[in-house]
Amino acid sequence: MKGYHDIKGDGGSRIVEQVVARQGRIDAALKDVRHLVAVGSGKGGVGKSTLTMHLAAALAACGGKVAVLDADLNGPSIARMAGVAGTTPLPVDGRMALPRSRAGFGVFSMGSLLTEDRALEFDSVAKGDSHTWRATREFTFLAEVMGAVAWGKLDALVVDLPPGAERMVQYAEFLGPRARFVLVTIPSDVSRGVVARSAAALASAKARVLGYIENMDGYACASCDTVRPLFAPAERRDLGLTCLGRIPFDPDLAAACDRGESMTSRANRPSTRALAETATRLMTLLEMPPT
Amino acid sequence: MKFLCVPCDQPMKLTSVKPPDRGSLSVVYACAACGYEMAMLTNPYETQVVSSLGVKIEPATDAAGPAGAVAAAASPTPGDAAGATNKEGGGKCPFAEMIPGLMGEGIAATTDGAMGAGAAGAPPAWTDAAVARLEVIPSFVRPMARTGIERFARERGYATIDETVLDEARDFFGM
Repeated sequence: MKGYHDIKGDGGSRIVEQVVARQGRIDAALKDVRHLVAVGSGKGGVGKSTLTMHLAAALAACGGKVAVLDADLNGPSIARMAGVAGTTPLPVDGRMALPRSRAGFGVFSMGSLLTEDRALEFDSVAKGDSHTWRATREFTFLAEVMGAVAWGKLDALVVDLPPGAERMVQYAEFLGPRARFVLVTIPSDVSRGVVARSAAALASAKARVLGYIENMDGYACASCDTVRPLFAPAERRDLGLTCLGRIPFDPDLAAACDRGESMTSRANRPSTRALAETATRLMTLLEMPPT
Repeated sequence: MKFLCVPCDQPMKLTSVKPPDRGSLSVVYACAACGYEMAMLTNPYETQVVSSLGVKIEPATDAAGPAGAVAAAASPTPGDAAGATNKEGGGKCPFAEMIPGLMGEGIAATTDGAMGAGAAGAPPAWTDAAVARLEVIPSFVRPMARTGIERFARERGYATIDETVLDEARDFFGM
C-alpha cells in the first residue's frame, strides 16, 4: 500500500501551492530590500519599539532608505511613535502604500488601524480555543502584509518583534535566513537572563544575531547634560554577543515617542548621539559579509 | 492531508466542497480508478486551523485530468457547493462563507474599533474602480483602510470615493 510520500501532490486541496505562492509574493515584494533587521528581546518593557523607531530614524538621517514593520500585532506602539496613528495604508500602483513617519520612512503598524482602546481580534468558528490557531493566524497576517506592501528599494526593513523568548525562533523561521537579529536588554540581570535565553533560542534556529543594545544605560539629565547611573552598579552576565550600543534613558526621548517625533533634530542629546553611533555600527555590521 | 483508496492503491482526489455547517466543512474526495467517494468532515478546530493558514480549499480545475474525470463522475447536484463554485467562475472560498469576516473581512474589531469609525453621517459611496483598487490591500486590513479613506472623504465633503479621491489621499499623506 502506498504511503504519504509515495503520492505526489496534495490530493487536490492546493494548500501547499497557495502557501508557496504567498512566499513568492513576499520574495517579490522584498527583492529590493537589502537588509532585513529584526529587533527583539524576549523580555517585555525594555524599549524594543522605542529603539526600533529611533534607530530607523537615525538610519534615515544618515541617508539610509528604511521602513519599519511592527510585528507586535497585539501591542502595536510604533504607529503612535511614528505619528501615523489613524493614517491607513492606501492602494497605490497595484500595491499597498504605507503611511510615512515624520522622519520620512514607511511604517506598517496595527496601531494605524485600530484605536488604542481596542484589542486585535480575529473572527473564528473556534473562538474559545484561540490558543490552538491564533499564532498561525498572526503569521498568516504578517505574511500577507509583507507580500502586499510596496516596500520599494530599501537599505533596511526594520521589524519590531513582540516579546517572548520562545517566539524568537518562530520569527527566525518565518523571516528566513536573510534576517539579522538585534537583541535589546536593560542593565539588569533579569533582563540579561531573558536575552541570553533568546540568544540561545536563535542559535538553535541557526539565526544570525548581530549583537545587542543596552537600553536605559544610565539617566540622561537634561539640565546638566550628564548621564548618571539608573541601575545599581553590578557585575553583569556576559551575553557573549557584540554590544552595538548603550542608550541612556532620556525623558526627552520618551516624550518624543509620545508625540510621534524622532530625536534627530536634538543632535546634542546624549541619547541622540548614542542612537546615531549605534545605527552606524549596525549598518557597518550589516554591510560586512557573513563569516 | 492525502487520502488513499486502499483497494485500488490510488490517491483520491478532492472533487467538491459542501456548504459549511456550524463550523464544519465537508470535503468530498473520490477515487479516479473505481469512483468510490468519501467525505472528510472537519470539526470547528480543524476548520479554524486550516483557515488560519489563509488558504482556500477548492477542487483543482484541470478537467482533462483524472481529477476532472472524477469531478465529472461526481456530478454535483444543482445548488451544492461545487456547483455554486463553478457558476461563480471558481475561486470561491468555502471558509469565507462559513466564517463571516475571517477570509473576506478579517478582523473582528473592524467596525467600531477602526480608526475613524463612528464619525457622523452615512459613508460615502464607492465607485467600482475605487473598490477594485482597494483589492490590493490584504482582506483583513481592507475594512479598516476603507474606513480610514471614508473618513478622509467625509472630512472633505465628498459623497463619492473614486480614483481621484484615492490619489488625493495618497498625495495628502505623502505616500
